[in-house]
Amino acid sequence: MTFSERMLKIDRRIIFMVIGLCTLLPLLYPVGLPIKISPEVRNVYEYIESLPERSVFLLSIDFDPASKPELHPQAIALLRHAFRKNLRVVAMTLWVSGTGMADQLMKQVSSEMGREPGRDYVFLGWSPGGSAVIINMGQDLYTAFPSDYEGKPTRGIPVLEGVHSLKDVTYAISLGAGNPGVEAWYVYGKDKYKFELGGGCTGVIAPGLYPLLRSGQINGLIGGLRGAAEYESLIEQKGRAVAGMDAQSATHLAIIVLVAMCNLFYFSLRQQKGRG
Amino acid sequence: MIFLRRRLPLLITMITGLLFAGQYYVPHPASEWLLTSATKWLQIIGGFALVLGVTSLFHQHAVKIRRQEAGWGYSLVLYAGMLVTIAVGLWAGGKESLDGSMTAFGWIYSYMMVPLQGTMFAILAFFIASAAYRSFRARSREAAVLLIAAVIVMMGRVPLGEYLIPLSGDVSQWILNVLNASVRRAILIGVSLGTIALSLKIIFGVERSYLGGGKE
Repeated sequence: MTFSERMLKIDRRIIFMVIGLCTLLPLLYPVGLPIKISPEVRNVYEYIESLPERSVFLLSIDFDPASKPELHPQAIALLRHAFRKNLRVVAMTLWVSGTGMADQLMKQVSSEMGREPGRDYVFLGWSPGGSAVIINMGQDLYTAFPSDYEGKPTRGIPVLEGVHSLKDVTYAISLGAGNPGVEAWYVYGKDKYKFELGGGCTGVIAPGLYPLLRSGQINGLIGGLRGAAEYESLIEQKGRAVAGMDAQSATHLAIIVLVAMCNLFYFSLRQQKGRG
Repeated sequence: MIFLRRRLPLLITMITGLLFAGQYYVPHPASEWLLTSATKWLQIIGGFALVLGVTSLFHQHAVKIRRQEAGWGYSLVLYAGMLVTIAVGLWAGGKESLDGSMTAFGWIYSYMMVPLQGTMFAILAFFIASAAYRSFRARSREAAVLLIAAVIVMMGRVPLGEYLIPLSGDVSQWILNVLNASVRRAILIGVSLGTIALSLKIIFGVERSYLGGGKE
């Protein structure tokens, strides 16, 4: 077996070790490279920045713990920004397995920012029906969610004063890890009930949402950990996403080097076989 | 019997299909009321679908355990996990915390489900790297184009890549915004046209496979 053949059949545990080290070392010894802000993330930031105080901001936390590393920092950054701007935050989820996480998230950020449940924000929880919940909210919010996550009747909650349906929402953002997510919010929500919509998603999903972004169907997009890091930089409250960018940088570079090596050995092997 | 099993479902499908396709364009209060009622039904049916799904899962794994098929031990773990979670979930009234203290249901969620799901997703990075090393080869011109595009986007999406090759950020943005968006849009238009065609076939009874049961 030639050297190239041996290298192409390298033990995958060596690759695992390289990736493990590339993730671990930058987390232990951060470099803190500057993060360039993309226009799609800036659009979300600037839209929230332009909203008048006490506008209704709906955050749909449409992910489960599997996507927590990427979408949780996005949610934290968005909530910090919304609370800082004194917006009325209406949070919910279309993913039943994300309900507990979303509740913890709301409690954590609201207590950090000194916001009160009922007055400054409400967490509606989850309701069955998937995308149908969006239509139902568009028709009548109180039918879709008769009570909030704590079991209190939604009718009469001060933060929902004057809010009857999605038509009364000023800005909505869906942080989606799949379906139902950003696309469902556009198709069943924004298109019919005419509110401004932004999106946040995992890095894998982001390329699929660019057509919606380019056509103005969503006004901005926060993609993956990178998007979260950009948003953290914009609100000047650096958190887990910025910390994770060094690890992501190193891992991307490691994969690029691995792919380059694999191609080098592949062509060298082909050349050897051609000569033979 | 054939009326109840075949013709009635087809009739219901046609009437509701046409009604709700038209409803979208009629902003009359009666039409809006119809939509509100239908979505309420959908939510209720959605709740039952969840029960149906869980029951089906239980049934499938019960069969596996009874027959002691390969991997039946995992089915047993699934059974134990689901029963314990349902029991503690009902006990805690579906709440992760009560009066500021964590319930057993909350403990299972925070210390079992969250790390397990996170771990499963995190493992992907290792497998993707290994798979990329083994299969991401420029075997043809098309594969070479894909490879170069992937490398540029990977470089452009991280600060280190932009630091080493400053142009990679802008080129990556162009690839995502122009090349990727246009191809995705073409796929989306194709899928949407296909969905419309399939919907019309279902509404007018041409496509009947959803009824099941094979031939009449």
